[in-house]
Amino acid sequence: MDELDAIRITFFQECDELLADLESGLLAQQRGAGDAETVNAVFRAVHSIKGGAGVFGFDGLVRFAHLFEAVLEGLRSEKLEPTPDLVSLLLGAHDELIDHVTAARTGRVQDLRRLSGVSVRLAEIVDRLKVAALDASPEAATAPERDDFDFDFTPLAASLEPLPAPPLTAPAPPAPLGWTIAFRPLAELYRKANEPAVLLRELARLGEARAVLDLSDLPSLQALDPEDGYLAWTIDVAGDIEKAQVAEVFEFVEGDCDLVISPMGQAAPAAAAPEPQFASEPQAELPIAPPPVKIAPPPLLTLVEPEPAPPPHVEPEPPRAVQSESAQPESPPAEAPVQTPPPQSVIRVDPERVDRLVDLVGELVISQVMLAQKVQEAGLPPSSGLVAGLEELEQLTREIQDGVMAIRAQQVRAVFQRMPRLVREVAALTGKQARLVTDGEATEVDRTVIERLAEPLTHMIRNAIDHGLETPEERAALGKSPEGVIRLSAQHRGARIVIEVSDDGRGIDRRRVLSTAVARGLVAADAQLDDEAIDNLIFLPGFSTASAVSDISGRGVGMDVVRRSVQALGGRIAIASVPGRGATITLSLPLTLAVLDGMQVEVCGQTLVAPLAAIVESVRPRPEDVRRIGSGAVLAVRDSFIPLVDVGVVLGFRDRPINPADGIVLLVETDDGGRVALVADEIHGQRQVVIKSLESNYGQVAGISAATIMGDGRIALIIDIDAVISMRNRPAPAPLLAAE
Amino acid sequence: MPQTIALSANLDLRAAAPLRETLLGCAEEAVELDGAGVTRLGGLCLQVLLAALRDWSARGLAFTVKDPSAAFLETLSLFGASEAMAPALSPQGAS
Repeated sequence: MDELDAIRITFFQECDELLADLESGLLAQQRGAGDAETVNAVFRAVHSIKGGAGVFGFDGLVRFAHLFEAVLEGLRSEKLEPTPDLVSLLLGAHDELIDHVTAARTGRVQDLRRLSGVSVRLAEIVDRLKVAALDASPEAATAPERDDFDFDFTPLAASLEPLPAPPLTAPAPPAPLGWTIAFRPLAELYRKANEPAVLLRELARLGEARAVLDLSDLPSLQALDPEDGYLAWTIDVAGDIEKAQVAEVFEFVEGDCDLVISPMGQAAPAAAAPEPQFASEPQAELPIAPPPVKIAPPPLLTLVEPEPAPPPHVEPEPPRAVQSESAQPESPPAEAPVQTPPPQSVIRVDPERVDRLVDLVGELVISQVMLAQKVQEAGLPPSSGLVAGLEELEQLTREIQDGVMAIRAQQVRAVFQRMPRLVREVAALTGKQARLVTDGEATEVDRTVIERLAEPLTHMIRNAIDHGLETPEERAALGKSPEGVIRLSAQHRGARIVIEVSDDGRGIDRRRVLSTAVARGLVAADAQLDDEAIDNLIFLPGFSTASAVSDISGRGVGMDVVRRSVQALGGRIAIASVPGRGATITLSLPLTLAVLDGMQVEVCGQTLVAPLAAIVESVRPRPEDVRRIGSGAVLAVRDSFIPLVDVGVVLGFRDRPINPADGIVLLVETDDGGRVALVADEIHGQRQVVIKSLESNYGQVAGISAATIMGDGRIALIIDIDAVISMRNRPAPAPLLAAE
Repeated sequence: MPQTIALSANLDLRAAAPLRETLLGCAEEAVELDGAGVTRLGGLCLQVLLAALRDWSARGLAFTVKDPSAAFLETLSLFGASEAMAPALSPQGAS
């Protein structure tokens, strides 16, 4: 990966964090728990996203962020009141900002809704602010074309698209005023992928710009460090420009350059030796407070060192860096020390490195088990030092494994924090009022699980609002609060994580569910089902209670898909409902997909592992329990008949099935809630196995999901139970051979 | 016959160190850079080019950028470096 790509990835990681900060700030504001610092933090988040986006040339993102920022600025400068309406608009803007970031990340800008209501409303507010600012500052009114918020703000990225002519726009013809900027980029500026050309171009957009290059520090080519900065510029920008506008251009390189901005015509001091007299520059004409220069936005971002990691680099504020002085008169002096954010004690690590570590620990576990087996085979007495040492090694290995898995563990917050937006959107689309309450966001689960959790949760929450919650009117009539509550919680239970989505809506309408299931032929008309069984009908493929397919839940995705994706994770799903009180869907998932609790079985001398999560029970059938039906066989278990599937035949180990009574049967649950009895020769007990991908190490094998390495060094295949069950319905070559 | 080196299209921060290495590799001869394909010129590469131009001129060797692209020239102008680079841009300048 080249450096710029790495920086781009970092930018998007930072966007995710900033968006999360933004949302939590806005939610605090909505709760009335916000203060000035909340508004500042929210502003900084949007501002930082805008800045990074500008560097990479994500114009749409920059433009929207700019609009958003302008409104936040109004809030920050107390020109706007944080009314519930405004905060709700800002939350909508946050949602749309996510869309813009996603579009920039995926390059699918065409997916963005054009000129959404949110942008229009933000723009209206900005317009009002602008008018107010003009009214408030009479001298500004003489230059009505000036645009404080600079709607056409499109900083050019570090790309040189052919420009028809230098964009030297001088918006205000009468005043040949302007600013002289002494600018010397330091190595740090370049290292962060900032580019003087971009800054110079932005200056040229403010007004007529003329840069004079200072080469005096340029060494010989031999002595030159290609990553250090030696050039300096003195730039005159002419035009009716606010100093804040000039300062804003340099906002993201503060601390990474020497910078002095002084009124044009006054001798500009050398950038490296700023003269203090400019600090007293009158700033009264500024209609808006300038950006929070002293608050130093970058510490919000933990900067990732692009690999290979450069030598440890302490980053004090370079003492010779001169802050753009425009900020100093406005910032209350007390502000600076108070607002230093605590240093983040978080490191960013390339996930691939952690994955590699997990792999290696897996190998370590395998080696250790193999070693233990060898020692056991050698028949050493348990009292021998070797055996004791081995036990210690086993203990350490286990701790290392836990430790490494903990590194890869992530808080479910990463998924949960996407849900408030979903609730807002779905509620708005369905005309319901809904509030999301989350609990246990800090619960940790392996990254592999986190990534695949979002989709089922999204569907569950959509369903809960669309089908579960009543309309505000219905709720009011029932004596409930018009606002429904969706609860999303996570907690650890043993080696699993349990996630619950519940609503306080109408609960499952069992009569309707049953009649629908009967109408669709999913259950027999005379079937006697208890409440729980009826509730579980919603997980059947092809079941949808919405009489009209709605835009919300009816995207071709029913709860059956949720169930399938949960089962694919080795999880289970259950629903509980109380009529009139609401429903709760519970997911129980393994904490990791890197190790698996499995049942070790033997088929035709091959060791196979069946995921324990799918196994309901194992039985050794009596001969009289096995009944032949047509070409197949079923097993009588208590009151029901369960189809028998010979794993050896399906996987091609043998031609004809063994008599199930000679083997052992694993009762497993299928996708559609039915049961199937898998026939194997022998069971060797349960064990935790380290999952090794077959796809990446060999190739996909039908009926097999992955492999593992056993203590004796042999490879055991992990059965993909759903695949095996669906394979039995296909004509396999084996029975043909058997028929001859 | 001067050594001709094609400048890469993207003379950004990553291009500076390789450009310097390349130029140091032909420090004893006249150098002709082909600037036709340049779409982006960053500050770090500008430094390298300006330092090289000065070194080569001091040694009495030719250092030229032939066929500079419009983007190259436009960015030079933005940097206020047109004048400093001028000897490399006019064919006779550096000889």
